[in-house]
Amino acid sequence: MATTRTIDSRSPKAWTSAGTRPALMGAGPFTQVVVLTRRSLIAFWHEKSRLVTSLMMPIILLLLFSQVFGTALTSSASFPPGVSYIDYLVPAILVTTTMSSAMSSGVGIVTDLENGVMARFRALPISLMSVPTARSISDAIKGFGQAVIILGLAYLVLDYRPAGGSLGALGAVIVSVVLGFALSWLYQALGASLRKAESVQSVSMMLMFPLMFASSAYVPVASLPEWLQVVAKVNPLTYAVDAARGFSMGDVAWSTVGLTLLICSGLCAVAATWASRALRPL
Amino acid sequence: MVGSRRDRCGQPPAHRVLIRVPVPNVPVSVTTASDSELVVSVVGVSQRFGEVLALDSVSLALPRGQVLALLGHNGAGKTTLVNILATLLPATSGEARVAGYDVRTQSLDVRRRIGLTGQFAAVDGSLSGHENLTLIGRLLGLSPRRAGARAEELLAQFDLVDAAGRAAATYSGGMRRRLDIAASLVGDPEVLFLDEPTTGLDPVAKHAMWEHVDALISSGTSILLTTQDLDEADRLADQVVVLSHGSVVGRGTASALKAKYGEQSVIVTLADPDRPLDAAFARLSDGGFTNAHRRSDGALVVAVASSADLLPVAAILQGVRVAALTVELVQPTLDDVYFALTVAPTTSTTEAA
Repeated sequence: MATTRTIDSRSPKAWTSAGTRPALMGAGPFTQVVVLTRRSLIAFWHEKSRLVTSLMMPIILLLLFSQVFGTALTSSASFPPGVSYIDYLVPAILVTTTMSSAMSSGVGIVTDLENGVMARFRALPISLMSVPTARSISDAIKGFGQAVIILGLAYLVLDYRPAGGSLGALGAVIVSVVLGFALSWLYQALGASLRKAESVQSVSMMLMFPLMFASSAYVPVASLPEWLQVVAKVNPLTYAVDAARGFSMGDVAWSTVGLTLLICSGLCAVAATWASRALRPL
Repeated sequence: MVGSRRDRCGQPPAHRVLIRVPVPNVPVSVTTASDSELVVSVVGVSQRFGEVLALDSVSLALPRGQVLALLGHNGAGKTTLVNILATLLPATSGEARVAGYDVRTQSLDVRRRIGLTGQFAAVDGSLSGHENLTLIGRLLGLSPRRAGARAEELLAQFDLVDAAGRAAATYSGGMRRRLDIAASLVGDPEVLFLDEPTTGLDPVAKHAMWEHVDALISSGTSILLTTQDLDEADRLADQVVVLSHGSVVGRGTASALKAKYGEQSVIVTLADPDRPLDAAFARLSDGGFTNAHRRSDGALVVAVASSADLLPVAAILQGVRVAALTVELVQPTLDDVYFALTVAPTTSTTEAA
């Protein structure tokens, strides 16, 4: 038979520990990031079509630009003497590859928000910043893999032989990955704020194309119109591409490398703060 | 014995007495089987989104091991309250505690003790069922081996073993929902929030889901369930709280609410549905059955106070020579309670418990 009683739920006596189940305390921050990074990589691996399509654009750019602009550009006065266009182009393609890879972070965080996965993570005893951190790391890993594939393709098909050797090529890849890591934070902050995949994609593309072409990526800055040279000189991509190019050509400008790292660190700090505010549950 | 959450009632009655009941919020009155503690306590919680008052000084309590159903229409504030309790949303005012911890100031402690199943299946479609569950286990702090074992246990419990290795994106709606609930149970939480767990499921999947929830109830999990499905609340809940436009308008056990706000009826299927019933209505009124009307299908509906009124009604109809094919006594359902509490204007104040 049901009995009725009145409990004042504000009374501390209403709370006892008897009958409670042992609570799981939650993984430590390092494990959280490792587990979530693995999650993103497994998801990427499961979607084989994404693996292929993510490589298509850089490969097309590499083949197209090397064939179309190669002769015309190397004969122009503004082009560095004694440098082949493929040597000039490959570091830029590496940087734009990791930039494209980073864009998937923004869409990924929107997907997590839309399908409720982020709400589930928020209801777990973990730091919410583990989620974007893991996405940035997994994108950096994906970007590294893609850059290595591009390098291999350039080596095999386009007879690319970097003057900086294997270590120089690795340096170029690392610079590219660092920029991609920083940009993935920016895209995630955008995603967390805009909350629509289409908006993130269009804003990301709007950012990416001016960054790519108003820089030293495909043509020397000196060959650009004067007003565009001003833009190129404040474009962080110019410094990242110059740093990567320095490594691959065996002529490292450490001040440019340092400036690139500084820009990427600043971008990470600003975008991570922005993302954490946009994702904050309480 | 607690309430009658597994009672099955007959057809909905044809008419309703409409009253709306504002209920005082504190102290919270609960009906319990034994001395159990509260695992959820909400006292005077309000939530404002700009000009919109989504929750207006809501109070409720969920004793350990019980199921509380939050019933309400779209926009009644059910999900807002769940989000506050699951630490996803800070309440504008009031106090809410889950498993003894303040949801605002001790949110991490709350998260260690809850499972949340939102309105839509929150699973990563690109991961397999096993990977989804293992992920949650690892984030909760289980070792890889224990997380894997727990995932297998839950996949078996929710009939997902055959699909364990497939991407969750390929699952049917029912399978995704089962995986979603399984993901909420990885940490064996003290309190489980189920936000409309059967929305969008076909009747077979819905009943299967109810059986899973039955199993959770048997294991002693305390559940706060939001639903628009009155059958669901009737079947699963020990306590029902009815929300309307952000306010609690009724609370109690399903049976107490039905007794309070529902009404038994005698439904008479006439041999001649077109026969005038003026004389019958007059005699029924003289006999004290003032609430009677003809339904759209021609049947005569007479509100009665108890089953003992069945024979007097039949005798009155026989007296005015109304031939009946069938005469049946219909019990009130939670539908009646819901309509009474949420549709009609306020006419009285009470609480059923």
